[in-house]
Amino acid sequence: MSSRGGKQKKGNVTSEQEEEEQPLQAVLVADSFNRRFFPISKDQPRALLPLGNVAMIDYTLEFLTSTGVQETFVFCCWMSNKIKDHLLKSKWCRPTSPNVVHIITSDLYRSLGDVLRDVDAKNLVRNDFILVYGDVVSNIDVSQALQEHRHRRKVDKNISVMTMVFKESSPGHKSRCEEDDVIVAMDSKSKRFSMGTDEFEIRHDLLDCHISICSPQVAELFTDNFDYQTRNDFVRGILVNEEILGNQIHLYVTQDGYGARVSNLQMYDSVSSDMVRRWVYPLTPEANFTDQQGQGCTHSRHNVYRGAEVSLGHGSQMEENVLIGRDTSIGANCHISNSVIGNNCTIGDNVVLDRAHMWNNVHISSNVEIHQSVVCDGAVVKEAVRLNKQCVLAYNVVIGPNLSLPEGTVVSMHHPEEEEEDDDDEFLSDDQEVGHSKDKTRQKAFNPAEVGPEGKGYIWKASMNDTEDEELAQCLWGLVLNPDPESDSESEASEESQDRTFQLEVLGTLQRGLEENIVCDNLVLEINSLKYAYNITLKEVMQILTRVVLEYPFQQQGTQLTTLQYTGSLLPLLKTWSPVFKNYIKRAQDHLDCLSAVEELFLEQDTHQTAMVKVLMKMYQLEILEEEAILKWFSTGATNDKSRQLRKNQGLQKFIQWLKEAEDESSEEGE
Amino acid sequence: MPGADKETDLTERIEAFLADLKRGGSGTGPLRGSGEMARETTYLLRRITAQARWSSAGDLMEIIRNEGRRMTAAQPSETTVGNMVRRVLKIIREEYARSRGSSEETEQQESLHKLLTAGELSEETFREHFVHLKANVIEAINELLTELDGTTDNIAMQALEHIHSNEVIMTVGRSRTVEAFLKDAARKRKFHVIVAECAPFCQGHEMATGLSKVGIETTVIADAAIFAVMSRVNKVIIGTQTVLANGGLRAVNGTHSVALAARHHSTPLIICAPMFKLSPQVFTTCSLSLNDVNSCFPVLKILSKVNVHCPVFDYVPPELITLFISNIGGNAPSYIYRLMSELYHPEDHKL
Repeated sequence: MSSRGGKQKKGNVTSEQEEEEQPLQAVLVADSFNRRFFPISKDQPRALLPLGNVAMIDYTLEFLTSTGVQETFVFCCWMSNKIKDHLLKSKWCRPTSPNVVHIITSDLYRSLGDVLRDVDAKNLVRNDFILVYGDVVSNIDVSQALQEHRHRRKVDKNISVMTMVFKESSPGHKSRCEEDDVIVAMDSKSKRFSMGTDEFEIRHDLLDCHISICSPQVAELFTDNFDYQTRNDFVRGILVNEEILGNQIHLYVTQDGYGARVSNLQMYDSVSSDMVRRWVYPLTPEANFTDQQGQGCTHSRHNVYRGAEVSLGHGSQMEENVLIGRDTSIGANCHISNSVIGNNCTIGDNVVLDRAHMWNNVHISSNVEIHQSVVCDGAVVKEAVRLNKQCVLAYNVVIGPNLSLPEGTVVSMHHPEEEEEDDDDEFLSDDQEVGHSKDKTRQKAFNPAEVGPEGKGYIWKASMNDTEDEELAQCLWGLVLNPDPESDSESEASEESQDRTFQLEVLGTLQRGLEENIVCDNLVLEINSLKYAYNITLKEVMQILTRVVLEYPFQQQGTQLTTLQYTGSLLPLLKTWSPVFKNYIKRAQDHLDCLSAVEELFLEQDTHQTAMVKVLMKMYQLEILEEEAILKWFSTGATNDKSRQLRKNQGLQKFIQWLKEAEDESSEEGE
Repeated sequence: MPGADKETDLTERIEAFLADLKRGGSGTGPLRGSGEMARETTYLLRRITAQARWSSAGDLMEIIRNEGRRMTAAQPSETTVGNMVRRVLKIIREEYARSRGSSEETEQQESLHKLLTAGELSEETFREHFVHLKANVIEAINELLTELDGTTDNIAMQALEHIHSNEVIMTVGRSRTVEAFLKDAARKRKFHVIVAECAPFCQGHEMATGLSKVGIETTVIADAAIFAVMSRVNKVIIGTQTVLANGGLRAVNGTHSVALAARHHSTPLIICAPMFKLSPQVFTTCSLSLNDVNSCFPVLKILSKVNVHCPVFDYVPPELITLFISNIGGNAPSYIYRLMSELYHPEDHKL
């Protein structure tokens, strides 16, 4: 017996050891499933865009490798061949690499959800894995978070499904993406997302690093809920169903370490500058962590990095935070600061570069000024051009001499309209020949006013499709506020139309009630369900009900009624439907609201103001309205001249007088 | 087949070593002392000599030079790697010369006399094949390894000559060599040690705990107090990361200020450094290219508009140094160039 117990124990120990020895896996999604970087990412997938002269996916893989990941699955969709080529040539596919990289491509992925469903279908992950995007730049050591995650799962029996890594960063910091800004409610002790516990904090100083440690259940959950497309859907789903499914999401907040995702050009600019200023140590330019030949550069004072064979002209200054790739030559009297320049570039004389990002083989002539812009491979900028902030010159564009591009211009060799027509084909097949032939047939003339006399390229408008109506439109650089005066009236109109429909529905209900002799309770039930369907508040329900009832005789018999006829048909209706009223008029405020609705109606129907008295009398008799409410309304409710006029009506005054006397009598009797 | 396996095994080891170098410098891998680094490099070089394919000394030197270039490129701040490569190259030259039968002295040293009296320039091609060259080289590398193993003890043995009773000694940060040096002297003498903590990594704390365990009276001071305390100090004994060709130092951040304070008070500055730290590099004032700038996070959290510089090393010029204590004895800084010529061949200075 004891020996068997001993054997079992041993079995447990080895299975634990086996669990710990399982290689750490990671899922890297090398596609962002959105078009934030169009038209740049039309020619080159986003994961291969250079950040500090190194492709972004290299940063992510280096981060994973240094954390201890031993098996990575890279999922590519858009331009997967290019990513595959790049990875096969890189150091991660060498046999001596500690991290084994598997590249999985498919044209059918349309979202993160699809990728994770594929992960589940192919049963790729056996254990906890790290989920990350291909454009994450980080040096955070996730092993601590991983240990906490594993510990939690062991202790709580697999309740914790995911741990998201956040970094503390003050609000408004440059490396916080505006679109991803998040306010987090978390339980301070257990560090999980929640609002219902005793001690929870609400934090706005957290930056989402887009690094998540997921349990194998995550993939299963995505398969079960096939409408989860993004990570936000998943988080929302888990939090909403927390009581039902019992799953929790935890946070890991790190103070040091740097992690950010390059989701738009604004983030590209800030992550690039952070990298040059060595916040992402050890992924610094001179470390040459990708082990590519000839990629190394030397680091000098003020964060100036020079590659091999860089030649600097006389009088040129590299002020600070500059990275220059190899074989680049810079002319005389240039002033460069906070910029990244790629390999093989030629820069002329008297050039001013400030926060410029230049990729490889760029040719810049003399007397050019570039501020906070991105110039892609092979672009040519001719003399005396000025690129203002947030311009983008895509691949092989030529900008002619003596031109000043306004802020936010995007120039690309792809014509903007060509995008919509060729959309589907290009998405599915990255067969380059297809694209080329279409280019040739649709070669439109370049507009010299836009790109200069010798220029080549088309201006790409930021909002091409249906984002024009939205207030916060997405452009390449981030969010842009579109002041749209029409949007407000549109929303009002929509609300009014809803009220209108509701009114008609209520009318229909009441009619049917009359015809079919439906019990008032059922009428109330119907009106309540209409209330939920049209999302109407209680107050509005009551007001609309009052209105409908009071207008009912007009509906039935036309508007040419005399007052007598009107009251004749209305009063019995009031009696029939009094339970319905009583159901909605309970508090003092409800009485006042009803009265104001009555007033409104009779203000419109001038001719029948005398009927108002009778209506009020009837309502009082039916105990729908109380005298205190009526008196209060009478004395205080006059908001404009017309209503004051109304209150001067003889009949109404007599009624109020009678009411007061009646009240006195009843209060006397009460005593 | 076995040959191919050996080769792949060799390349794997080299790759692993390179990756380790890269990661070791970044702080994510295990932190190693220079001594360990030197030993690992020498092991690897011995393995290359044993397992790589070469037929003549020239080939072997070429192979080692290539690997050496890759290793120094992987982690430029780790100079012991390059030093060991140069030592091995010198060993190969010596063994080759010995196998050829000519004495080493006359061939190696360049001198004015030789320039005048030399007839034609004799080109050394290292192309001759010698059967026992491999064995000789490996044996010489083993001797080098034994020398490496014994450096700390050799330096510590000289402690009693330099430290006297009731002296106040100042040191900076943490150096294993200096620790062994002081511990050896503590066996027979009673003295007091002041340790500057060396922010932001504060390695001085570890040093102080280590010294106090052996019974040495230790005081830890902040870096700002160095000058103030210097007037009471008899000697300053520090370690260094690299000894440069001109006798200057590349030492941990803060050493320069200690050296200046010592010079101001005319306190002798003694450097305990084994010979494998001697490097043919020279400090160039125009760039900090020899300086490793570290992560800024221990100093400040990330801020948008602030650039944070956190250099790891300092340059100390040779004028401020009094004495070098190494495993071959004590030397003046002005003599370092001579020692270097004994260790390395001039053609190997640039790998």
